[in-house]
Amino acid sequence: MTKYDLGIPELDKALGGIQSGTNVVLVGPPMCGKDILVKQILHAGLRDGDGVILVSTGEPGESIFKWCEQHKLGIENYKNRFGIVDCVSKTLGMDVSDTQNIKRASSPVDLTGIGVKISQFFEQFYVKDKLSKARLAVDSLSTMLMYSNLQTVFRFLHVFTGRIKAADALGIYVLEAGMHDDKTVATLKKLFDGVIEIKEENGEFFIKTAGMGSTPGKWMKYEITGPKIVIKGD
Amino acid sequence: MFETGIPKLDDYLSGGIPSGKSLIYHTQPGVEGDIFGMQTLYWNLHKGHKGVYVASNSAPYAVKGRFKEFGWNVEKFDQLSIVDCFSALMGADSSERYVVSNPEDIVAIDDAISKAMENAAGGVIVFESLSTIMDHCGEKETLKYMEKWKKYSTAYDNVVICNFTAWPYAKSTLKRIKELFDAVITISGIAKRVIFGQYYGVSKVNWVAKSQKRSISFKVLRPGGVKIFIPKVLVTGPYNAGKSSFIHAISSRAISVDRLGTTVAMDHDFIDHKGFTADIFGTPGQERFDPLLRMLSGEAMGVFLLIDSTKPSTFPRAKKMLEMTRAHGLPYLVVANKQDLPDALSVNAIRKKMKIPESVPIISASVAKKQGVFEAFETLIDMITKAI
Ligand SMILES: Nc1nc2c(ncn2[C@@H]2O[C@H](COP(=O)(O)OP(=O)(O)O)[C@@H](O)[C@H]2O)c(=O)[nH]1
Ligand SMILES: [Mg+2]
Repeated sequence: MTKYDLGIPELDKALGGIQSGTNVVLVGPPMCGKDILVKQILHAGLRDGDGVILVSTGEPGESIFKWCEQHKLGIENYKNRFGIVDCVSKTLGMDVSDTQNIKRASSPVDLTGIGVKISQFFEQFYVKDKLSKARLAVDSLSTMLMYSNLQTVFRFLHVFTGRIKAADALGIYVLEAGMHDDKTVATLKKLFDGVIEIKEENGEFFIKTAGMGSTPGKWMKYEITGPKIVIKGD
Repeated sequence: MFETGIPKLDDYLSGGIPSGKSLIYHTQPGVEGDIFGMQTLYWNLHKGHKGVYVASNSAPYAVKGRFKEFGWNVEKFDQLSIVDCFSALMGADSSERYVVSNPEDIVAIDDAISKAMENAAGGVIVFESLSTIMDHCGEKETLKYMEKWKKYSTAYDNVVICNFTAWPYAKSTLKRIKELFDAVITISGIAKRVIFGQYYGVSKVNWVAKSQKRSISFKVLRPGGVKIFIPKVLVTGPYNAGKSSFIHAISSRAISVDRLGTTVAMDHDFIDHKGFTADIFGTPGQERFDPLLRMLSGEAMGVFLLIDSTKPSTFPRAKKMLEMTRAHGLPYLVVANKQDLPDALSVNAIRKKMKIPESVPIISASVAKKQGVFEAFETLIDMITKAI
């Protein structure tokens, strides 16, 4: 059975690897490093030989690559395995076309287009490049929910969490804590197998996983160091 | 009658869409189906018809940019208007002729669409995404208004064409959609671990007496749009018949992959011609490669048998190769090559000598002079698409 690592040694050790076909929601308040954590998990995938897809509703594709270069993540070694679905550039009025790594949806409203681009990357990775593992991150569901109602986003996720299962891939979906009502959170959570939760208390950050391993996770303290989060103890 | 501009589809629809009728491109999520509506709109604008594009997912400039991806400049058509059901969602201004101030209000959308349909009387109305309007305004409400828009289209001699993504809506909604539209074109992918390969088919068309439910695979080219795609066509025939030359003459790329002068590895190339594309594979001619030949021919959809018309001594070998490559019933034709040479046998003489049935076309060709090459391609494509 294929397993996936998050790229955070303490968590990976506790989890013993995540089953393929798992969909995980990453919940946390703003300014706690969710974006960094997402990139860290994707970077771990690139190092493991996975195909990696990032659906970005907040940052244009180019600036994600720039960020990776600035932090010397060695992305250039993996460029044919890293695809970004950029939902931002076209809404900013930029006259940009697709590149090998960046496919652009018209807007965060354009779930049809986002779905097409995700599928095209999956096809490229599995059929053309013959990869056997892939991870998809959607950063973030909260932005999607600003432009489409809960039911619409739910239907979209229903389809794509299913595709993650069929492809034995790993799906990570970012949700801003505190931005949505309880019903929204409860409805969406039905779609996911696991949760990564982060929180801030008195200026300190904590992370916890649930639903992915045999043992329920406990809160671990972490710090943000450059392009990654580092566990500092319980 | 309005053509769809989608290769082969107009044949399946008996020429196109009669005015007053509606058609939906009903697409599985993840498959690139919205290009179908765009292609139909562009085709009709190009023919001089009026057109309306109801943009619900993209800003108007992004719409124009998407058309450009396929090589279609829509800015030159004055008779195109856009109903902007998008900008207001982003809080952006719009300078389009029809702007919907609240895209979540079906009454506001109807107001703009009704006007646009009247002004575009005798034209084509294309919805970028009916599903998005349903998502914003409600499934039942939107479909109720679709009934109204259909009535308008009868009054104004429009046709209504919708792109639609078949998200997991309520069964009753999906059923209602199939009833509502006069034609339903289903666009899907082959799903295993991931979706690959795309095809479309006519699920419903109520103006054609005896419609056949067939599916045909397609590719989306940039530029170019929707093209029928034949995944595997073989070129076989004896050594020196002109197989490599044939592939080179027909291919859309500059260099063919003939690795070692004479064909040891496979020639492989891509053809893009008049709405049809195909991956074409040349088999080696020499007998020592026969085991390979059988392997290469798996999943082929049609065969060109190349022969050197001046070398009747190679005809038995040609027939044997045909037998090896051709699964039972697979469409094939004979390309009688080197007709430019004085001692070339005529098509009739070849048919007799090789005992080729009358039903199998023999195309007189001189591949070196590019004669008969595209005739052969078009003829075989026609046979393949009829056989599907
Ligand atoms: N005269 C004449 N020669 C041709 C024609 N087509 C191909 N040839 C020549 O026939 C030879 C064999 O062609 P090639 O394509 O390599 O054959 P293959 O072995 O079947 O791949 C080459 O010297 C070509 O130039 C044609 O239409 N007329
Ligand atoms: Mg050859």
